[in-house]
Parts: sequence; structure tokens; C-alpha cells
Amino acid sequence: MSRVATTSTGTPAIGPVRQGCRDSPGVVVAYVPFGVALGATLATTSVHPLLAWSSSPLLFGGAAQLLAVQLIDAGAGPAVVVLGALVVNARMLLYSASLAPHTRDWPTRWRWAGPFLLADPVYALALGRFSRPDGGGRARDRLTYYLSVGLTLWVAWLLLTAAGALLAGALPAALPLELAAPQSFLLLLLPMLTSRPAYVAAALGGTVAVIASGLPLGLGLLIGAAAGVGAGALTAGARDD
Amino acid sequence: MTELAVLAVIGLGTYAMRAAFIVTARAAPAGLARLLPHVGPAVLAAITLPALLAPRGTIALAETLPALLAAATAVLLWRRDGRLPVALFGGLGVWWLAGLAAVSLV
Repeated sequence: MSRVATTSTGTPAIGPVRQGCRDSPGVVVAYVPFGVALGATLATTSVHPLLAWSSSPLLFGGAAQLLAVQLIDAGAGPAVVVLGALVVNARMLLYSASLAPHTRDWPTRWRWAGPFLLADPVYALALGRFSRPDGGGRARDRLTYYLSVGLTLWVAWLLLTAAGALLAGALPAALPLELAAPQSFLLLLLPMLTSRPAYVAAALGGTVAVIASGLPLGLGLLIGAAAGVGAGALTAGARDD
Repeated sequence: MTELAVLAVIGLGTYAMRAAFIVTARAAPAGLARLLPHVGPAVLAAITLPALLAPRGTIALAETLPALLAAATAVLLWRRDGRLPVALFGGLGVWWLAGLAAVSLV
């Protein structure tokens, strides 16, 4: 966590790779229940387990993987599956736009390769670091941090979903771990609440997402995010005037 | 194999969305740039709040209250020692206890 670095005053600043490796395990732990459960769910469909699991390296995003494999399982046409999964993943556009101001000074090849690793927790950790007062350090430090976090979580995701697929059927039916992922996102969100517009964006984004949570394809998330971004911008604009 | 092709196309489309703004080194237009600082808090809250209020899909006192207690515990633990796994499992522990209490009360 960014908090680790701020509390460790007095000790020499640690490098971005070590910081990335230190920040990732907490998030990996938070993803264990979701990853394993998702792997197990994918493996119990009529889709071949290896094919279903291949969605992990190809898509690297649980919600879209679940939707795609379940739609294929239900016999939906290719166009429906592709469109549905892309709507679920549309938040990646927001992540891309949001990180872009911090990636502009990366070498071109890394601006092409880096986005492959962009997923919810990678975005949350990276933005948390890039939003620090020092901007997350030099271009090289920001890139190394992003790649350490992204690769760690990508590999962990492949292993967790594979474990879930192999263990499918052997898992206890009701392991109550559903709260692990939202809790970790809450802890990643809190350090970003540093101004009034940020609070307004979070409050409205969360509230609207709750109200719209009945919508399919993760649309509630997108509508909530849009409402939050708009409200945050309005609040910031009103303060500037 | 159509199924693999479908997954590959989704992967390509998702990569295109992930890369859309990052591959170019140009600055975003002013209108868009004004919105960007608010994306992080808005999206993360939109991911977090519905899942916290309804950890198993429905908002109900017996579901929501234990989850909020757990979240408060996780936040307090994290403020105290800054380690995510500690905060996470502390919160989950409170959630399990509160869930048991809710079941035994109902």
C-alpha cells in the first residue's frame, strides 16, 4: 500500500519493484476466493475446461470471463457473446484515460505492452501510487511499479483460476469469502479521497451504482462511474469559479 | 474452434479499450482532462459500494449490517498498521462473527 511508504519514514526509500511486490500480495489474497470460485464455475460449464480457463490469459478480467463462458455455455451466438463481454469491460476505457496522464513519458513499446496488464486491481494500485504528491516518481519508477504489480496479478490470476478449475467439486459449498474483494477495493479507494470533489465523485458513483445494481452486463457500474465522474467535475468546477 | 476465436476477439477488443488512451503520448483534450481526476474515486466506489451493501446479491439488514461492521473493522485495522492482509482477514473475521450472531438472533 502507498501507506507503507509514507509510514516508513527514516528508512531509505525502497525501489519500485520491491514496492510493487510488497503491494501485490494483499490484493492477490483478496482475489483468492473470487479467482478460485470463478475457475471452478468456468470448469463446471459444458465448455471444455482448458478452453474456459484460456479466458484467464486472454481476457484477464473475472466478470467478463464469467459472462463470456456462461453465454457460450448457453449457446448464444458469437456476436452476442463478444458484445456482452465488451460492455462488461467498457470500464477499461475509463482506466486507460485515467492512467494516460501518468504514462505519457513511458517508452513507446511499453505504452503498447503495458495496457495488456490493465485490470481493476492493477488500475487501483497504480493510480494510488501515481496520485501521490511526488507523482509516483520518475517515468522509469512508475513503469517498473506498474509492470511488477501487473505481472504479479496476471500470473496469480492464471494460477488461482487454474486451481479453481482443478478443485471444482472438491470445494466447500459455502466458504463465506465474498467480502474479500470489495473490502480490498475499499482500502484502495480511501487514500484517493483527498479532496471535496473526490468525496463527491465517490459518494455519487457508489450510490448510483447501488441504485442501478439490478441492471445486466455490469451497466450499473458504468452508470455509477459516469455519474460520479460528472459530479466530481461539477464540484471541482464550482470551486474554481 | 469458434469458441476460442470468440474469446480471442473479446481479448483483442478489451486490449483495444485498455490501450486506447495509453498508446498515444498526446495530452487529452481540455474537456476530457477535467473529468479524469474523478475517474478513480468514482469507479472504485461504484465497484465497492454495491458489493459491500449486498455481499450475496441482496440488501437486507442481516446481510448488510455485518458487512458494514466488517468494512469498518478493515478500515480501522488498515489505518493502524497499514498491512492489507491483516486488515482483510480482520474484517472477514468480524464478518463471520457478526454473521453467526445475526443467524442466532433471527
